[in-house]
Amino acid sequence: MTASPTAIDPVVTGRAAALDWVESSGYPTRRTEAWRYAPHKKLGELSFGPPVTLTTNVPNIAELMPDLDGPRIVVVNGVVDVDLSMMISPAGLRLSSLLDARREQPDRLAVHFDRTDGQISDAYMALNLAFGGDGAVVRVDDGVKLDVPIHIVDVEVPDETRNASCTGVVIELGVGSSATVVETRIGVGAEFGGSNIRTTIALGENSSLEHVLLQNVPSSHVHLSNIDVTQGANSVLRARSFNLGALYGRVAYSVDLAGPGAHADLSGLFFGFGDQVLDQQINVIHSAANCTSRQTYRGVLDDASTGIFNGGIDVLRGADGTDAEQSNKNLILSDRAEVNTQPRLEILADEVACKHGATVGQLDESAMYYMRSRGIPAVEARRLLINGFADQVVDEVSLEAVRVWIAQRLGHEDV
Amino acid sequence: MLHVNNLTAAIGGKQILNGLNLDVGAGEVHAIMGPNGSGKSTFAHSLAGRDGYDITGDVTLDGADLLDMEPEARAAAGVFMGFQYPVEIPGVNNMYFLRTALNSVRRARGETEVGARDFLNVSKKAMDLVEMKEDFLYRSVNAGFSGGEKKRNEILQMAIMEPRLAILDETDSGLDIDALRIIAGGVNALRSPERSMIVITHYQRLLDYIKPDFVHVLVDGRIVKSGDHTLALHLEANGYADFENELGGASEQSLAGAQS
Repeated sequence: MTASPTAIDPVVTGRAAALDWVESSGYPTRRTEAWRYAPHKKLGELSFGPPVTLTTNVPNIAELMPDLDGPRIVVVNGVVDVDLSMMISPAGLRLSSLLDARREQPDRLAVHFDRTDGQISDAYMALNLAFGGDGAVVRVDDGVKLDVPIHIVDVEVPDETRNASCTGVVIELGVGSSATVVETRIGVGAEFGGSNIRTTIALGENSSLEHVLLQNVPSSHVHLSNIDVTQGANSVLRARSFNLGALYGRVAYSVDLAGPGAHADLSGLFFGFGDQVLDQQINVIHSAANCTSRQTYRGVLDDASTGIFNGGIDVLRGADGTDAEQSNKNLILSDRAEVNTQPRLEILADEVACKHGATVGQLDESAMYYMRSRGIPAVEARRLLINGFADQVVDEVSLEAVRVWIAQRLGHEDV
Repeated sequence: MLHVNNLTAAIGGKQILNGLNLDVGAGEVHAIMGPNGSGKSTFAHSLAGRDGYDITGDVTLDGADLLDMEPEARAAAGVFMGFQYPVEIPGVNNMYFLRTALNSVRRARGETEVGARDFLNVSKKAMDLVEMKEDFLYRSVNAGFSGGEKKRNEILQMAIMEPRLAILDETDSGLDIDALRIIAGGVNALRSPERSMIVITHYQRLLDYIKPDFVHVLVDGRIVKSGDHTLALHLEANGYADFENELGGASEQSLAGAQS
């Protein structure tokens, strides 16, 4: 692992401290529970550093992402590409590159980037803090209800340096506002490389966000997503993640229900082929009273792929009246595929309703027979069953264009 | 049309069918009755092509060897089985399932596929037949359906698939009298000179509504007695005990009867 400290962009505050953190605390290993199934050797071959300028032409990415109307920020190898972006801001939306925002209002964004040693979860988060100079900032003013989705696209084009770019995304919703943000992570080329993206979300009182994460980078890439959410009173988060690409695709959420009456509804699909490892690390922290949370994750694992669901519910002292649910269902399509599912519950409050369940199963043979007896060929029946299983998460996405895009990735056109 | 000759079936080493013979002509409705465990459902699944059965004997439909075919090929050849326990398929939309089924069969036969709009017209007619509301089409296949709704969905599928041979496996089980009447009405409307039916039932009750041309008694994996619809009335009055007692020495004679 090479971590070059040479500063070329102006956002260097905290870089030295973050790199010190890596120096002293080291990288996660197989013994680190949240990183138990990660390919540590591969991760060690990545080169983290300041953005690597693209030496080739920017690839045609239109085919790789859902077709959404509205504002768009495209980040290529860790740097905002103004030409590919559509920096239009309807009234009440402020959209900017992270680099501009941090230059213009460094204090304003400090809450997302100033982290004490204890607030850094691991070396990869520290590297993101050290090198994640650019990215996207989305701010929605108080009371504004946006009816167009905001699209943030991260494109990775690694070269022979095995570079892994670090990107930062900040989403802030004002009091009583609502918005839909789609984050699409894609890549081009067969070179080994990676992306390490940290999204921080702050939801004001009574605000409502649908946040959709579409991870479909090439299978030669490593992808690390870290989504930290802080929710104000009575705010609503609907988070939908689709962990589809990468040789190692990691989607880590940490959701703090910090204001009373907040609701976090997280669901996700991971769909593995080949020898992909698709990792979901979900932590929902009930800090305030009378909050509700729901985690609904589904895994489909084919070939020799591995799925991980590590889902935590922490109910802190004083978070009385918590209602939390967690469910992880998995479909194993091959003898060589595996899934590791683990619930973690820690409850320190009173009058708490908490339930969780996990299942691992194979295709329902009786359903296969039923469909075949109706004339549907076995291959088609299998596809219908798999898609039926996956669609229960896909259907929770409100944007049709996104549902269509996912359906196409999963190999069926009907939604 | 359908010829079943000396059919045997074993599941996991246990012999269930012991040399079953049956001929069904075009347009005929045959009822098969028998006590629990006599092999009625095994017979139905043997015709539909369920995995895991060790089968010997000959079964032909319009001259084609059914036993050689995968379940989907049997459907394309015109076999339809109404399940005693229709399977729930969460996440698969009923209309999409039905259209995929119909078009799979049409494709296998070299016919043109039915588009979404035409299919909606076809399915609406079929739904009227079994008094189903349109929202059934948009729900997952059988998921959360009541017992009666599941059975109506089976008849709906039969109406859409227009099979050459329909095998209805205890379609009456678990139905109240109103549901039974609706289902029987659907089945009767689908009777035609080109379509044969095998109606499997434990109780005579269904045959009050669907009048069969022939009734066969299945005991211990063989047809031990065949007759017209009055045989069902006899069974209703006397149960299966007479035939169960006849087993052994009488079975050769009964087999001959079944062939007649």
